[in-house]
Amino acid sequence: MFSVTQVGSWPRSPQLLAGLREKRMKRMSEQQFNELADNEIRRCVQLQLDAGVDIVVDGELRRDNFYSFIAEKVEGTQLMSLAEMLETVEDKAAFEEMLQTLDAPAYAIRNPTCVGKLRRRASLAAEDLRFIRTLTGKPVKTTLPGPYLLTRAMWVTSYSSGAYGDKPVMADDVVSILREELEELVDAGAEFVQFDEPVLTEVVHSGDDKRRTFM
Amino acid sequence: MNRVLDGFSGRIRTGIHVCRGNWSKREDVLISGDYAPLVDCFRKMNVDQLVLEFATPRAGELAIIGRALPDREIGLGCVNPRTDTAESVESIVERSNEALQHWSPENVYLNPDCGFGCFANRCVNEEDVAAAKLKAMVNAAEILRSENS
Repeated sequence: MFSVTQVGSWPRSPQLLAGLREKRMKRMSEQQFNELADNEIRRCVQLQLDAGVDIVVDGELRRDNFYSFIAEKVEGTQLMSLAEMLETVEDKAAFEEMLQTLDAPAYAIRNPTCVGKLRRRASLAAEDLRFIRTLTGKPVKTTLPGPYLLTRAMWVTSYSSGAYGDKPVMADDVVSILREELEELVDAGAEFVQFDEPVLTEVVHSGDDKRRTFM
Repeated sequence: MNRVLDGFSGRIRTGIHVCRGNWSKREDVLISGDYAPLVDCFRKMNVDQLVLEFATPRAGELAIIGRALPDREIGLGCVNPRTDTAESVESIVERSNEALQHWSPENVYLNPDCGFGCFANRCVNEEDVAAAKLKAMVNAAEILRSENS
């Protein structure tokens, strides 16, 4: 009772931020990055164990953000900063104003835009689970972006309609990808998977499009 | 969501996390409003645990979810991931006692309202503050366990 855990993400150190940037620019190999991230996750897990939490997370330290990271794992996606997306949205002024109003940095937040047929080419989180298992015997919580968040964020009509025609058709593949991942997570012995659906509050509380966020 | 979860019930604990944004430390730019309009959606959703914000006043009353869905597990958001000091242990205990009016102790989990760094380049906190907040929840859990065993 009263199990203490986290929602998922942990602050990135300056070294890790540099590593994420270098990997994105292809100036750091996957292997070099993983060695850096492994060490950061070790420290993050140790801090949680020292604090005495009951269910441990890996801090999502390998991820750029909690949903954009799938661009590395799913074929048919392209990582785009919100500034790049600005080029494609119809109402540029409104999009820019929204980012400013929301205090959302256009260059620092990236989106996994659908640009082709989606196919899972690597595990989204199961590999991360296998690593954290080597660090602790405590239960682990694994986090994944939810199907609604992914569908809404990934669909950018000018890029996505070529492969899918319509958003609900793409959503079918998003569901399949998440089901494949859940299956792999169960096989890997996951005890707790949390789906993140932050945009649901926006759907019910925004009223009109003026407060639509960038996700 | 249920299409994703179909067939997994009982094989793994599943949760859904719904918050009101975590990209800025400015409370005024994040979304506001209680969970009432989402109650039906949660009721239909085949998840074991609702991982929800309740430390921020923007999330409204805990009883809205407590009255409607006392049979689920609650991941009780009891510390704000965006502030610079850790919440007092007493305030977390108090919030949890409020949850106990609706849920049994076994079904109450303690967590922050959201992550401490959802966007790598826009982390909303620093490591030592985050660790202090974890410690405050752990201390609160110890008190709650002794009071409820």
